[in-house]
Formats: sequence, C-alpha cells, structure tokens
Amino acid sequence: MNNFKNIFVYSLLILSLNNCTDHVDYEAIENYAITAEVYFQQESDYEAALVGTYDPLQWMFFNIQIGAIASDLSLCGGESASDYLGLQEINSMTHYPENDVLSNVWRWLYEGVNRANYMEENKSNIQFDGKESMYGEVYFLRAYYYFQLIKFFGDVPLFTDVRLTAGDSGSLSRSAASLVYEQIELDLQNAISVLPASQSEQGRVNKFTAYALLGKVLLYQEKFAESAQAFDQVIGVYSLVSDYGSQFLRFGENGPESIFEIQYTNQSNWYDWNCIQCSEGNYGIIMNGPRGWSGPEYAQGWSFNVPTEEFFNSFAEGDTRRDATILDIQSFADQTGSSYTEGYDHTGYFNNKYIPRAGESGGQIELNYLTNYRIIRYADVLLMAAEALNRGQIDDATALQYLNQVRARAFGSSDNNLNVSGSALTDAIWLERKYELALEGHRFFDLVRTGQASSTIAGFISGKHEVFPIPQQEIDISGLEQNPSY
Amino acid sequence: MKNIVSLLFVYFSFLLGFHAQDLSGSIVDADNGEPLAGVNIVVEDQNEGSVSDLNGKFNIENFESGSTLVFSYVGYKTLRLKISSENFLDFKNINVSLENDLSELDEIVVIGYGSQKLSDISGAVSTVNNDAIESVTPVRVEDALQGQASGVNIISSGSPGSKPTVLIRGITSYAGNDPLVVIDGVSASIDDLNSVNPNDIKSVNILKDAALASIYGVKGGSGVIVITTKTGKRNSKTSFNISTSTGFQEVVKKIDVLNAAEYVAILNEASVNSGQGIVFPDISGYGLGTNWQDEILNDAPIVNHSVSASGGSENTSYYVSASYTGQEGVIGDGDKSFFNRTSFTTNIDTDLNEKTKLIVNTNYSNIKGKSLPENGITSVLSNALNFDPTVNPYKESESLLGSDGATLFQEHSSQNGSFGTSETITQEIINPLAQIYNTYNQNKVNKFTGKIELQYDLIEDLKVTSRFGYTYVDIYDKSFVPLQFYGIGHNQTNSEPDLSPIVSIDSEGNSTSTHNRVTEGHTNYFTYTYEFYGNYDFSINDLHNFQTVAGFSIGESKGGNISATNEDVPFNSWAYADVSAATGNALQQTSGSWQYVNRNLSYFSRLLYDYDEKYYASLTARIDGSTSFGSNNKFGFFPSASFGWVVSKEEFFENIPIDFLKLRASYGSLGNDNISPQFALISTFPSYVLNGNIISGSSLGSIPNDDVSWENQVQTNIGIDTRFFGNKLSLTLDYFQKTVDDLLFSPNLSLYLGTPSFPTTNIGSTKSSGIDANISFNTNIAALTIASNLNFTTASNEVVSINNGDKYIWGAGYGIPYRPIVRFEEGFSPGYFYGYVTDGLFQNQSEIENHASQSLNGTFPGDIRFVDLNNDGMINDSDRTKIGDPFPDFTIGWNLNLDYKSFDLSVFTYASVGNDIYRAYERNLSYTNRFASVLERWTGAGTSFEEPRVTFIDSNNNNRASDRYIEDGSYLRIKNIQLGYSLSDSFVEKLGFSQIRAYMQVKNALTLTEYSGYDPEISVGGVLNTGIDYGTYPQPRIWSLGMNFKF
Repeated sequence: MNNFKNIFVYSLLILSLNNCTDHVDYEAIENYAITAEVYFQQESDYEAALVGTYDPLQWMFFNIQIGAIASDLSLCGGESASDYLGLQEINSMTHYPENDVLSNVWRWLYEGVNRANYMEENKSNIQFDGKESMYGEVYFLRAYYYFQLIKFFGDVPLFTDVRLTAGDSGSLSRSAASLVYEQIELDLQNAISVLPASQSEQGRVNKFTAYALLGKVLLYQEKFAESAQAFDQVIGVYSLVSDYGSQFLRFGENGPESIFEIQYTNQSNWYDWNCIQCSEGNYGIIMNGPRGWSGPEYAQGWSFNVPTEEFFNSFAEGDTRRDATILDIQSFADQTGSSYTEGYDHTGYFNNKYIPRAGESGGQIELNYLTNYRIIRYADVLLMAAEALNRGQIDDATALQYLNQVRARAFGSSDNNLNVSGSALTDAIWLERKYELALEGHRFFDLVRTGQASSTIAGFISGKHEVFPIPQQEIDISGLEQNPSY
Repeated sequence: MKNIVSLLFVYFSFLLGFHAQDLSGSIVDADNGEPLAGVNIVVEDQNEGSVSDLNGKFNIENFESGSTLVFSYVGYKTLRLKISSENFLDFKNINVSLENDLSELDEIVVIGYGSQKLSDISGAVSTVNNDAIESVTPVRVEDALQGQASGVNIISSGSPGSKPTVLIRGITSYAGNDPLVVIDGVSASIDDLNSVNPNDIKSVNILKDAALASIYGVKGGSGVIVITTKTGKRNSKTSFNISTSTGFQEVVKKIDVLNAAEYVAILNEASVNSGQGIVFPDISGYGLGTNWQDEILNDAPIVNHSVSASGGSENTSYYVSASYTGQEGVIGDGDKSFFNRTSFTTNIDTDLNEKTKLIVNTNYSNIKGKSLPENGITSVLSNALNFDPTVNPYKESESLLGSDGATLFQEHSSQNGSFGTSETITQEIINPLAQIYNTYNQNKVNKFTGKIELQYDLIEDLKVTSRFGYTYVDIYDKSFVPLQFYGIGHNQTNSEPDLSPIVSIDSEGNSTSTHNRVTEGHTNYFTYTYEFYGNYDFSINDLHNFQTVAGFSIGESKGGNISATNEDVPFNSWAYADVSAATGNALQQTSGSWQYVNRNLSYFSRLLYDYDEKYYASLTARIDGSTSFGSNNKFGFFPSASFGWVVSKEEFFENIPIDFLKLRASYGSLGNDNISPQFALISTFPSYVLNGNIISGSSLGSIPNDDVSWENQVQTNIGIDTRFFGNKLSLTLDYFQKTVDDLLFSPNLSLYLGTPSFPTTNIGSTKSSGIDANISFNTNIAALTIASNLNFTTASNEVVSINNGDKYIWGAGYGIPYRPIVRFEEGFSPGYFYGYVTDGLFQNQSEIENHASQSLNGTFPGDIRFVDLNNDGMINDSDRTKIGDPFPDFTIGWNLNLDYKSFDLSVFTYASVGNDIYRAYERNLSYTNRFASVLERWTGAGTSFEEPRVTFIDSNNNNRASDRYIEDGSYLRIKNIQLGYSLSDSFVEKLGFSQIRAYMQVKNALTLTEYSGYDPEISVGGVLNTGIDYGTYPQPRIWSLGMNFKF
C-alpha cells in the first residue's frame, strides 16, 4: 500500500515537470488584443486604418497656433510668462532646439506619415472595390503631413514604403526639401488621379482638395505656372460665402467655401489630460478663450494667441473682417455686463475665429470644443491663384479679378476694389492675405515664403528663423544635422 | 535542532530552621563560574524580592520555607527554585548558577521552502519579531518595520492605509523596486499588506542577499519579506488574547502663510511691481482672515481591536483571530477620508495520520475607505495653502466677523453653495472646505487569502510538501462629481451659484448644459501558486549535516476590471449617486474594461551543508519561466552560493574574549520581471470625425520585442556576526554590492517613428553598494531590564548606463505649467532632482547687464540670478544640473525597551540623514496666497539676497524648477513611545486572567528637522516620485491608550 502511494506521488511529480512548459507561453488574444499579424485581412480593416491616418490631423492645433503666434499679428499670452514656454519663446523668436511644443509638432506629423506608410505597406494584401480611391486619401494625407514638416523644419527624413519600427531608430538622415517636395507632388498627382470629385461624408478629401493643396505646394516652390493650373481646377467649384464671419461659426462649418477642414466634435466623453491630442475635440480652442469669462456667447479659456492692438487698428474702415477676426473683449464685456480676468500679455483682443463659444464643448470641457480648423478656404485659393498668375506673369487681369472677389466680399461692396498690376498687385495680394486669413495659421509661413519675415517680425533673424529647429531629442537620438544657427 | 540540556548545579547542605527566616546565597554563570550581578530575585506570589550585588550575593529577609524563588536575568534562562528545608540545609548559603539562554540565537528564520536557525545562516537576513510589531500597534505592518530591520528603507505617508515605499538594499531598478512578500509560503506583494492584521504576525524575516533570495529567483531581486503568522501549540489549553487601543491623531505643524492683512499688502506691492495699479485700495480691516489650514485639519480618531484564540490537542492546533482597525484622516471630516479594516484569520494544522499533516490557513479581510485629493496642485492641502485668506469659509459667516477681524463661523450652514468663493482666483485653487464637501468616493475591498498544504513524510527524513496558495481580491469603487460652484468663471465651477446646471445657448439657439457624473467600477484579481517540493535532511556521522530541498512552482495571476459612468444623478446627491439611478442618455453613458493574465513556472533547489556547526555552505538555484518574457527568452536561471565560518568554534579562539564570531560571504544572481508581454498590437483607439460622427479607426499601437527578458542582478555580500560580554552585546555587519544588467526601459527612439509605444528593452545597468549594521545590547541593572537595538542602513546607488538614446528618463514633475524635476540618468543616482542653480538676487540693473541673459521677457532688480553653467551667455535648459537627491545617505533606527517591575517602556527613534525635499505646493497665481517668507522679500538694493521681489508678472521665470525649492529633509523622529503597566499576577489570576496590561502610547511624538513643510517623510509612490512635497499628507502625532488581556 505504501509503495503504491509512493509511486503515485513520484509519478505526479514527474508528470508535472514534463507537462507544463507551455504554461508560460502567451498569446495576445488572451487579452483580446489584435496583433498586426491578423490585421489587413478584410476591407473594414483598411477603412479603419484610413480613419487612423486622418486622426493625426486633429493634432495640428500647435501648428495653427504657431502660424499666428510666430507672426506679427498676435502675442502668445497665456497665464504667465512661463505658461507654455515653448510657445512664448516662439512668440519672441527666442526658441531653441529644446522646445516641447516643436517636439510634439515633429512627432505628431511623423505619426501621420507612419500611419499612411503602414497602409502603403499593406496595400496589396487583398483586393476590394474602392481601394484605389481610398489610397488617394492616404496619399493626400501623407502629402499634407510632409508639407507641414517642410514648412516647419525644412529638410526632413523622407520615407514612404513601410511603417518604421524600432530598428529604424537613428538610421535616417534629412532629405533635401526639394526631394520631399517631389514626393509630395507625386502623392498629390496620384491622389488626384483616383479621388472622386465629391465624397459622401463631410471631412473626407476629394479630387479638388488635392488640387488645392497641390497648387499651394507648387506656389511655395514658386512654380507659378503649374500652380496656377492646379488652382484653375478648383476655381468655380467652390464659392465665397456672403457673410465673411459666418463661416467661422459652428453652422458655417464645411460650407461652400470650405475646401479642406479638420473635423472635430464635442460628442466624446472620453478624455485624458496626458493625451490632449487624443481627444475628438479641438484643444486649440480653449487656449484662446478669455480668462475667467463670465458672460454670454463665449466661454472662459486660457487667453493665448491674443491679437495685437496695432493689428486691430490697421483694418481698413468698413472691413467686416475685423470684428469677425478679433474680439474686443472690453467693449463686448461692457455691452453685455460681463466680466473676465486678464492674462499675461493682455492686449484686450482675442482670436474670434478660434475661440471657445458657449455650449460648443462637452464632456471634459477644455478638450472637447467642436470647432473645426479651416485649413484651405476658397478665398485662400483665390488669393493663391491670383499670386501665381501675377508672380508668374501669366495673367494680372484674372489675378486682380480674384483679389477683388475676396475684397468685395469683405467690404460688402465693390467700392473698395483695387486696380493695380505688376509688383503693386503682388503687394496687394500679400496684404490681402494678412487680413483675409489672419489668425488661421498661415501668416508666419506667408511672411517667410515671401521674404517679408525679417522686416515684419520682431527678433526674426534671416537665415535662421525661416525654419524651426529640429527637436534636440531627435538630434541626440538620430544624429540629424541641426538647422543653421540653432 | 540542537537542544542544550539544562545544567544546573545546586550545592546545598542541611540546616533545620524556622518557618520564616533570612536567606542568602550567591549566583554564578553556569559556564564560567563568574559571579552574576544584577540578577532579579522574586519570591513567587509575594511582592518581595532582591537583586544580586557585584559579587553575585543576594539576601532575602523573612523567607517562608516552601516558597519558590524566581531568578531572572537577561540573556539567561529564568530559574524557578522551590526552597524548603527538605532540599536546602543551609538557607544562608544558597548557591545558584544560571545558564545562558541562547534561544534568541536559536531563533528560527523562515527562508523559503524551509527554515534555519539564525546562527546557521550564511546569508544576510534581518528579523523583526512580534514584540517589536506589537509595540508599534501599526495600521500596516510596514509601519513597524521602519528602522527595525537594517538594510530596509521605508518611507510612508500619513494618508490612512496608504502603501509606503519599501526599498531593500537600495535602488537598482527603474521598473520597480517593491520587494516580494511571502506570507506563510504563499507569494504576495506589498499591496497585499493592506489586508494583513499586524497582530496575526509571529515574525518577519527579510531576505536581503542573493544566497537567501535566489530561491525566489526572478522575483527576489528587490529582496524578500517573509511573513510567518501565528499558530497554536499542540497539547495546550485555549488561550485568549484581547488587545484594544483607542486614540486620536493630530497634525503638529502648520505652514506659515500670509494672513489677510499681509496678503492684501503684498498683493498691492506685486501689482504695482508689475506696472499695474493697487488692487486693494483700502487695506484696513482685513485682520488675520481665514487660516485655511485650521479649517481643514482636524483631530481624528484611530482605533484597533483584536481578539485571538489559540491552542491545540494532540493532533491539531489552531489559531483564530478577528480584528478591526479604523483610522480617520486628519484632513477633512472622518466621513470623507478613512481606512477601516476588518479581518478574520483561521490557521489550523492537523495530523491526518502518522505521516500526513494538513495545514489550512484562511484570511478574510474587508477594507473600506474614502479619500480626498492629495499630492498635487489640486489637493486639499494645496488649496488650503494657496487659497485667498480674505475669503470667509462660509458665506453665511460674513456677519460673524469678530471685532479683531478673526472670523467666527461656528454657526455656518454647510449647504453646498454656501461656501466662500474668491472672485480673483479663477483657476484650480478653490475653497478647500467646499472641495472636501464636493468630494465623494468610496472603495470597498473584499479579500480572501490563504493556503492548503499537505506535508507527507515519504521516508525517514524525507518530507514532501504540496501547497496551494491563493489570493482573491474583489474591489468595488464609486466616485461622484457633483455640480459644484467655486465662483463665477472659475474653471472648477460647473454649476450656477444655486447648483443648477449651467445652460449655454449657442449662436443657433441650441442649448447644452453641464452635468454631474457618477462612475462605478469593479475590479478583481485572482492569483494562485501551486508548489510541490521535498525536503531531505540528514547527517553523516553527526558531523556533516545536510538540509536539501527541490521542487517546482506553478502559478497564475489574473485580473480584470469593468467600469461604467453616467451623468445626471438625481438631486445632485451622493445618496442617489449610482449608475442605475443616473438619468443620462445613451450618449452620456460610457463603459470600459481591461484584463491581464500572467503565468509562471519555476524549478528550484537548495543544498545547505554544515560541518559540525562550524563550517557552512549553501548552494541555491532557481529556474524561472514567465509569460512576461519574450518568446526568445522564456526561462532564466538564478544560482547562488554562500559560505560561513564560525571562527569562535575554532580551538585557537578559546582564549579570546568574544563569545561568538562568524564570518559569512555570499554571491549569486537574482532578477526582476516587472514587464508585460510585448506584441505588435493594433490599436483601435484612434478615431476621426466624419459627417459629424466619431468613427473608430486603427493604427499600429505598439512594437514587439521578442527578446525581452528579466533584469539580471548579481549580488555579493560579506557579513560578520559577533557577540561579546556574555552575549549581552551582539553585532551584525553586512556589506553588499549589487550590479544590475539588462535593466528594463522603454527606449527613447527617433521621434520620426511617431507615437506608438515602443517595446520595453533590456538596455541599462545600475550598481548599488552599502552597509547594513545592527547592534543589540541587553542587560539588567538591579530590577531594571534593558534591551536596546540600534541599526544602521546605507546604500549608494548609481545608474551606470541607459542606452535609450537620451541617457536619461524623466520622472515626476509638478505644477502648472508642468515642470519635470526628477531624472533617472546615466552617471547619477537614480531619481535625483534636476533644475537650475540660483545665485542670490540681482540687486541692481548693472548686475543684470553683467550677467548672462536670463529671460526673453525681461529681468529686473530683485529677480533671481541663475548660474550660467555652460557659460554661453544664456540661461536656458542646458544650464540645469543635479540640485538634490531625495534618498537619505543613511538611516538609523534605535529601539530601547526597559522593564522595571510591573512597568515596561519602549521608545523607538528613527533618523534619516541627507534626504532632500523639493517643495512643490506653491501655485503662484497672481491672487493665490504666498508663504510667510515673502515678508522678507527684496524691495530695493540690499534688502534681501534670497527672497525675490513680488510681482504678478514673473517675467524672469523666478518660479522655474531650481534649487530655491530644495530643502534638507534630514530628520530625527521619536516614532513611538509606549509605556505599559501590568497588573500583579496574583490579582490578575483572581480575576481569571493570566495577564492584564494597560499602556499609553504616543506615535510620532517629536520630529526634529529643518524642513519647513508638514512632514519631511514624503512618499507618493516609487523611486521616480520620492521627496517631492506636493502638500504631502502629514504623518499625524497619535496619542492612544490600550489594554491587553490574556486568559
């Protein structure tokens, strides 16, 4: 009996020893996690990945803010001189490579590029209807992300085939901007050839969105003839809204003037303060609100991106764009019996295009403003087309006509129409861009592009500040060469 | 086990005498015949006694023949001797010899899958027995380990029931430094100690070096805390033990902030300095205003009750206990912050038959808690320090202003909305009383832990053990964010003043409104470990002694959570706060869940050998496999060896006046498996808005690393144990050195890879070395028994390499805007403070012009001068450096226990030296309150060289992270004083008890420190968030009274 028991115990022991090494194997499915190995097997995977490629568009709030704050039109503001130090430094042209805002701009744009590339990598797994057109959107988005990278940083690492993984860390170097531009043009041409003329869902890009961006990219390279041709495809497809200010309100979103608009909503309850860009709302909006606002129409915010008094006063008489663009907080508070507190660099003016408006957020209020960013408006296209026609010495008359379309809408009549040509027309177009597109994130890049930055922006050093510094972390890890003088 | 046979030599001679007579004699040491002075001699059942003199002589008058004498002396076995004319002829010449009590040295240490006599161990171990634990009456057992065990560093916070930071022998890892906890052989974690009733614990053994910890392999890298709970004794009557104590807690120190009159004056000056007008035109009549600290800090009760019964029959023994611990927080009222624990323990072992023993241990705990925001700029304490002192606590109390300006607000109504609000502070900082009122949460934990163990004597000397250990935890939590009002336009306000929702109408006439919100969550964990092993102990020729063990362990740990949130709780009331009662629509409801699983499989064996208890050696090895490791690295091997030599047993040592001397050395490897499995995972989190709707998308969320493995630690230990002066003085000294390779990090890869989470990789190394020392001294002086213990712990740590790209990783930071402050960096000690170095103040404009450019927005006289470390003429991020280290250079714990007749006193003192603190509780808004130090501010050349000018516009960024906020946090604290009185035995017996003892206790009685904050002991969690004072929850002083009954 005892022997039997001993044998029993020994065999139990031996069995256990032999049987359980697979006990420590682990598959991701045990936690219901989807791995890359099982993905891109059905059409819906591709659709989801495309949505994922659109997603980083929503992270562009710093890009838009910097386009204004770095320019001559607005100051950084905020709570104090050290509130968003990265933005404060850009405001005063004292930024240097260790700038957390610029690191985010860089990294988030590259996440967009990588997501597009991940789709490229898996393009040929399966076939289904509409795949080509879907990849038109992918190529457009990749072109947009790269174009942002060039505008901010100049030469940047260029890669298009696959999503990079850990092993690619530190292996790339910067490609000349001209090569990146070539890729952007190629992506946009590919997109144009497969994208439909219209999309059933608001927010998706179509053929004309791609033409508009292509025209802009070409204009930045001063390829005026090609640029004008691209814009020509878009002229007449869209139209100017009659009330300039209405397009910046909630119900003016995705209107007839809107060519490319980044979509946000206030519908999400999800939030995480450690991932402000992950929200479905627009984080750039709360930043621009009046501090401690208690009154109608607007909601309180953090008083960033405050327009200067000089800019406010420089609008021509009768220009309806002034009040649509800038909120004179004191006069509005007096008018409505409201109150607010002053932030740093208080000018008394706020960015009325992108400002927290009452009732337009939900969930975690700060992170969920529904306000879309108007990235390419028809008025912008008209002015860019005019510039291409004028500077390319192609057709000043049409250029002037485009310019006057924009002015007539702004002043509510054709009384303020101009009649100039040649370089005077160029100057007029550039000046018009300042008022038409103010605080929408274009100004700094326009000034750089047109060589006016050093004469306009205090502290701007030619040969240095045309581009922002490559983030120091990227220099350290990847050994990239820094931009000159940083 | 070697039993020392009692040797007693009694010399006696016959002498007939009277019934009551004088008695005298002498007492000597049984070993060497030396006279013993100070031996306590008591006539049993009478309150009479005597003490031996320097020559060991004693004398007792009026001795009644037939009575029993009790001889007691520290370090010797107590001797009871019945003296009558039948056995003692000469009452004038009673010669007694006392025998050394080596029981302390024979203390059994549980070392994992076996046990060993303390004197046989050749590794490094610290032990804390239940006396030491009971004298502290801790809420969590870790409280009682602080300063009691050398090599162990414990940093705790005053928050009720909170988990402290426990470090055994320094900091070696970034990923985690929590030691493994083993309770009665079952693996657990520091988190599990919240449910352990400290009164159930018999002993705590801390395995510190590789020789001892490597039996736990990959989990042993941060040391092992082995807890043994109480059991009953076979063949003994049931004995009951009732302990009860009750007390109150108070916050001793307050931080000096500006009162209302000072506040308005300073704010006027700050406003003028920033080019704005005076903000308080009339500064009279403000008086002291409200001291918010006084408003929120309360005396709070703490109680401990426990009852246990233990005993046994011939075949079975048992220990059962029940306990209740209730601690309220000193911040806010007790209904918003508390920790209540009820626990029941049953430990039973029984012989199923001659060869088989069954052990069943079961513990059930129920923990209930509520907490207030702590450790951050939004904590209650931070609000109390930063909120406007001119605001009255309650609106109704405005009419209750005293003539001296002091507020009298006893008659307040604490209706929500009636709290005082500030019109000038519109961000984060709020009336802390309103915050307390509006904080609603609760946490309920039900926990079962235990084991079922069978021990079977297979053949002689070979015992096999089959053990199933388990932990099941069920956690329910709920929180409620009501509609709350902190002033119009305040960013924490989400309601109108009357607490109705704020309704906003947009440009098209659509309305939206604010909501209250309730969240409920359920989390459960289940962990089991099955172990099977055999112990084979044998001797050859009674000289070669072997203890061997071999076996395997298989386990799984899994957990899951499900949570739900809804809005619109009826009546905005906690009473209705439940997801089921909330009326929010489908869009307002959200839910979530997560789960994990982790499995491991291990094989282990150990050989302990000694030759005649003179030469010792051990060999230990463990193989660990884990689901956490990459598929290319499934199993790790962790061997160790140790040697010991009892020099004092050598012949040449005979004439050396040292009682015992042992040398020890060990070397071996350990691990740390603080990682999770790594895959290329598709994240379905990304989404975008199309047609106004949120559309879910996907992206590659993480990148795999199939090679990821454990952190590999190699530890060397050299130690010495020695005793002198008849074993009265003992010293243990250990030196250790650890190097850890393959440290686990998430690397910082090229930013152009985007935002997926990068795999944890083995890319760093650290080294630590240090000394643990312990000195014990026990003696008697007359009737006074003294037992004292001093221990010393020091460790220096260095990050040797981090190949993550940056060579550093940021740890914690603070404030708004957020400023990172802690770094884990190559070439530095882990978790050090990083920032700017200050160099006084600029006294005039020329000093500014002669210094590096500091700020783009303007620097003015009275601003702080920062040191241009790299001499590039610019003060920027590159001018930051190491400005402090939160970890102490060394710590010392000192225990003193005195017994005198019926009194006993224990005093425990703890000192931490060289730990820096970073002060991070200042919000620095224009209208937030300031610290009293600004009264010494700069107001003109030469007025101050430290405290900068006040201004609303900090254009010089004086508030940047700098050594200005670093303070020396060294402290010496009398952690515990307990004075007890035991009623006399005869009286107690008449009442039917065997012991009745009453005691008075003061915890944290006195703290000596230079630190300006509440408490220099600051623990938030983990190595990368230590020593930052976010308004830390102070450890209160606790006064309590207690009683122990045994029967």
